[in-house]
Amino acid sequence: MLSQTITISVACARPAIQVSSGWTPYLHTGNSRMTAGPYSPHSLMIRKLESIFRLSSEEEQALQSLPVQIQFLKADQDIVRIGDSPSQCCLLVEGYTCVYKLTAEGKRQIVAFHVPGDIPDLQSLHLNVLDNSLAAVTPCTVGFIQHEDLRRVCERYPRITAALWRETLVDASIFREWVLNVGRRDAFSRMAHLLCELRVKLKAVGLAEDDTFDVPFTQVELADAIGTSNVHVNRVLQELRAKDLIRSKGTQVTIPDWEKLKEVAGFDPLYLHLEQGRAA
Amino acid sequence: MSLSLQPVQVATGHDEDGVLVFDESQRLIAVLTHLSEQNEVAPGQWFLEAGFGRLDGVHHPTFANLDAAQDWIRQRLTHGS
Repeated sequence: MLSQTITISVACARPAIQVSSGWTPYLHTGNSRMTAGPYSPHSLMIRKLESIFRLSSEEEQALQSLPVQIQFLKADQDIVRIGDSPSQCCLLVEGYTCVYKLTAEGKRQIVAFHVPGDIPDLQSLHLNVLDNSLAAVTPCTVGFIQHEDLRRVCERYPRITAALWRETLVDASIFREWVLNVGRRDAFSRMAHLLCELRVKLKAVGLAEDDTFDVPFTQVELADAIGTSNVHVNRVLQELRAKDLIRSKGTQVTIPDWEKLKEVAGFDPLYLHLEQGRAA
Repeated sequence: MSLSLQPVQVATGHDEDGVLVFDESQRLIAVLTHLSEQNEVAPGQWFLEAGFGRLDGVHHPTFANLDAAQDWIRQRLTHGS
């Protein structure tokens, strides 16, 4: 059964630490909602940019020397809220975050999930006031990078500027696909599509070996992401399992037949723009 | 406001029992489904499967019993929220 439990929170008593180079993996809490992510914030950024173009040693050094403030977040903790004017961007190092918006009555729509390596509020570098909120879905490790530091690197290295710009364009592409998903697919295909997206994004950062990956979301979170009720989410998950399109054990999901799930979802990974070796 | 109920089977994939809910003018205003024990979110509860008119929208609550569901429907029809 996919997680339907209430979110488990992990105490967040650890102080923020400053990382500028070198990396010691964190001691894990053993909490089942903590997703493995054995990468440093710098290596995640470098890996992401290297998937777009080959970094020069100078560019790589500039990224390596970016000061990153590490913080550990509890599940469900807001990172930034609508109306905020942050002076830093948040690089997700470990765990899952989501961007959401609320109606006036307080109904939530999740508009994106993020995986390690994503910078879910990168737009705040240029948009002074946030028009959405960002929250940790699971316990997370995030690295905060000051806008002024990012700007300094961008001014000196135009290819890094272009790559970060590209990131925000990909984010917009993902939002467009989610509008299509929520607006025009049935709930069964919507859920299949979300799982396809997670599989592709996690595989790109090495977190979906053998088509098995962690989906530590509650059914309420899934419902808020695909625009249906948690009751219906449960039916859809049961149907996906009954048709052997997914197998689940705890929060781990395995896709036994990737081509079949893609077909059911109408999934085309083009919108994720993940191709390797593309020039910036 | 008096509501009338008509039993139906709802093809949700689990052959769940349900009721059609009509208002005083015999207009269909809702479909309620009695969730099977297989539903892992709210087994045995009543679920607003579909609502029409003032019950239309993305909010699909569950209820402990049919009386609670009808109370909620009456309140929505009367107050609109």
